[in-house]
Amino acid sequence: MDRPLDDLTREEAEDYALPGDAGLIEGGVEGAAAERSAFEWRHAPQLDKHVRVNLRLQEREVAEKFMADPKHMRIYTVLTLGCFGLWLAMFPLTMMQIIPIWPCFLFATFIAAVGYIPSHEAMHRNIGRPGTKYHFWNELVGQVATLILIFPFSMARLMHMHHHYHCNDPVMDPDYTDGASGPIMAWVKTWLNRQPGADGSIHHYKRCLERIGTPEAQVALRDTMLLQLGSMGFLFALAWSGYAFVACFLFWLPRHLGLSYIRYWLSWAPHHPRDGLDRYTNTRVFRTWVGHWLSLGMQYHIVHHLYPGIPNHATKYAYYEMKPILEQRGVDCSPL
Amino acid sequence: MGALVIRKLLYWMPFLFGIGFIAPLTAQTMAYWQIDAPLGLSRIGFGLLFGGLWGLYANIRGRWI
Repeated sequence: MDRPLDDLTREEAEDYALPGDAGLIEGGVEGAAAERSAFEWRHAPQLDKHVRVNLRLQEREVAEKFMADPKHMRIYTVLTLGCFGLWLAMFPLTMMQIIPIWPCFLFATFIAAVGYIPSHEAMHRNIGRPGTKYHFWNELVGQVATLILIFPFSMARLMHMHHHYHCNDPVMDPDYTDGASGPIMAWVKTWLNRQPGADGSIHHYKRCLERIGTPEAQVALRDTMLLQLGSMGFLFALAWSGYAFVACFLFWLPRHLGLSYIRYWLSWAPHHPRDGLDRYTNTRVFRTWVGHWLSLGMQYHIVHHLYPGIPNHATKYAYYEMKPILEQRGVDCSPL
Repeated sequence: MGALVIRKLLYWMPFLFGIGFIAPLTAQTMAYWQIDAPLGLSRIGFGLLFGGLWGLYANIRGRWI
């Protein structure tokens, strides 16, 4: 295996001394965040080190069974590229009135909302690890899957890694601004955060990238600005050429609906109330009436944060096998 | 220099969005529903006025509504 299985806190990393991604975790998360917080942070119960190590070994045994296999991940590549190609084709087809615009609007909204999932797998290099023949496809999927959201892959990957390393930290977690008191406010916030003067969504990401300041962050910042300008230029050109409805219903509106859906289900719902700082409390297990598919599998998001190498479609099965171990670690598994 | 120009463009994006997208969208929506522009304006003239002012409002206030 060429990757660490899971994300570790600094303290736990000392127990295991794993190389790789775990070494990227920056310190000061618990101390700094807790000092700034107005409320008490939730932590998993302190267990004896022997028990902890034993449970972790059991957890890892389960996780290993569900880790992404590039051969089984091809479906993500096929669906992403197919949907992207279809979306592009819809522009001339609707402009020439060969097909009506409303089914295209529904399709564009669908891929805007769901396209983040393959991109997310690519961010974690689950579609193809570097140095393998699948890596090219991994990067390609990442690049095209969120174009409809005007969300460049370089920025998405960097921000998502920071979210993992600093999950729920009010300052360091780029997604912390999605926090809201309840579901209705969370939907409203997804929209408020996108307002020109708001400190949320992509505006917050840009500020995070400026703060990080590494060459990768500068590239991501440049990509973001160029993609934003290019996309606006494309929208304006379409609109002024007499195809404002096409621009609106194939790109602009699906993007906004998709972003709100993603922000709610992938950020707010699994992390609410964002009061946990360690690996067993920074997400929650929850039940929703919309079910597994419409919630994009986020009810089992804890598995993703523990083992990002497990692909989204497998987190449900991994969760149920891991559930007794998670309960011993203090995770509230009662909803599912 | 290039970065500065891009930053300026992005700063004024709500206003540009108003005239670049909202204006033609307004005019084409009015044409679709066969609504005439008020005050003897053309539809695109009305769209530019409406979109430009709305975009400017968003630029100044930092929010669209």
